[in-house]
Amino acid sequence: MSNDYWWDRSGQPDPEVERLERVLGRLRSVPPPLDLPEPKVVAMPRRWWALQAVAAGLVLVLTATWVVTRPMKTTWNVSWQRGSPAGRERLAVGEWLETDAASRAQIQVGRIGQVDVAPNTLLRLVAARSTDHRLALRRGEIRARISAPPRLFFVETPSALATDLGCDYTLQVDDNGVGLLHVSHGWVSFELAGRESFVSEGASCVTRPGVGPGTPYYEDASEALRAALTRFDFESGGPAALQVILAESRRRDALTLWHLLARTTDPDRGRVYDRLAALVDVPAGVTREKVVAGDKPTLQLWWDELGLEEGGWWR
Amino acid sequence: MILTVPAATTVVGGHALVAAARAGDRTAFGQLYHQYWRMVHGILLVRVPRNEVDDLAQDVFLSAWRQLHALRDAAAFPGWLARIARNRAHDHHRRSQNSVELSEDLPVEDAPEAEACQALAAIQSLPDAYRETLILRLVEGLTGPEIAARTGLAPGSVRVNLHRGMRLLREKLEGRGAHV
Repeated sequence: MSNDYWWDRSGQPDPEVERLERVLGRLRSVPPPLDLPEPKVVAMPRRWWALQAVAAGLVLVLTATWVVTRPMKTTWNVSWQRGSPAGRERLAVGEWLETDAASRAQIQVGRIGQVDVAPNTLLRLVAARSTDHRLALRRGEIRARISAPPRLFFVETPSALATDLGCDYTLQVDDNGVGLLHVSHGWVSFELAGRESFVSEGASCVTRPGVGPGTPYYEDASEALRAALTRFDFESGGPAALQVILAESRRRDALTLWHLLARTTDPDRGRVYDRLAALVDVPAGVTREKVVAGDKPTLQLWWDELGLEEGGWWR
Repeated sequence: MILTVPAATTVVGGHALVAAARAGDRTAFGQLYHQYWRMVHGILLVRVPRNEVDDLAQDVFLSAWRQLHALRDAAAFPGWLARIARNRAHDHHRRSQNSVELSEDLPVEDAPEAEACQALAAIQSLPDAYRETLILRLVEGLTGPEIAARTGLAPGSVRVNLHRGMRLLREKLEGRGAHV
């Protein structure tokens, strides 16, 4: 196979690729006209313009005043799948929803998705705006399924903020405020005071009060790696725990190692670099010196080479 | 407003177009629509029945148009749009009541169509990392550099995915005895 032709169609055409292009090219589609919504424009006689302008200005002022001073009345629908301890069918901003051991509920998150509420869960609706759909999960478990552009749905927990980057995920919080996030599809950002974890499909992340989100890991990582991560993130495991993590890492665990670059200092950071460089290609422009120095553009460059989803849009 | 801007073959003035569209410029958004149609179409074709791809692709662009103000960095538009497309495909599957095999969603009426469906099914059976890149290259006709520019992926990642994916696809087709 001609590498040049396969890459950019330069050089000698490759017969096998040409044949596949011809066969599969039948499935291509021409973009149909796109009908973008736009406001209706209503023509009116000229003599009414001045009066209309004054009226419109008055309405604008009154509306602005009302928007600023009104209590938030927006509500989300709640359906109960088992039991109805609170009897609440709509959840307004500021209100709490609680399920007991025998009840489950489903919250309709505006027009962008649903949240399933497991038994023994307590949560509050914090915001219900088109650009900010926000819950606070005090304890229990929810499953969020959101179909919307990233950064429209947020869940506050006692130890981190979960930001939806387009996904399907489960979030648990225990009575001590310890959280566990598992992502089934897409990505979630887990953040506290600048400490941020990007959790991808198939990965999980623990968060603890006073510390924030730990290092994300894939569910199929070894038991030893996961235990060592817990020690490293939350129990001052230090170099001994890091040694286990590095030894147990596979190529797929580049997600974990990349996060550790920002959570270590030299000489540990250099050890993380060496292990990551042994598992994945080091792109041009990334050097050990820059990584050890914590150069953010360099870390971003390496992230883009990990074969994970390009990350620039969520930062 | 119906957008019928002629298709562009390359990504032109990307950041400026995104900034203009974010400010409400429909013509600018129309150009983005044509520049990124093949990327969105390809991402959906990996994951949903073929006869539903065009409608879902339009949904993706309408959603992007409505939420473009929430995009913080114009340079991040390609990855952002790709994520919306993947989310839409995932949501489609979740909502779908009937489980339908991707490769069997349309009646196959002629031999070339059957060949295309067979090759598409082979690609869809590959690991996630390779499916999108192969479809963008072989179905949508984008080159490696164009795939990188449109998806926001690093060129090195695209190159690796293309080569490993093609090797796997060849093994898959030979294993099936497919004549494509």
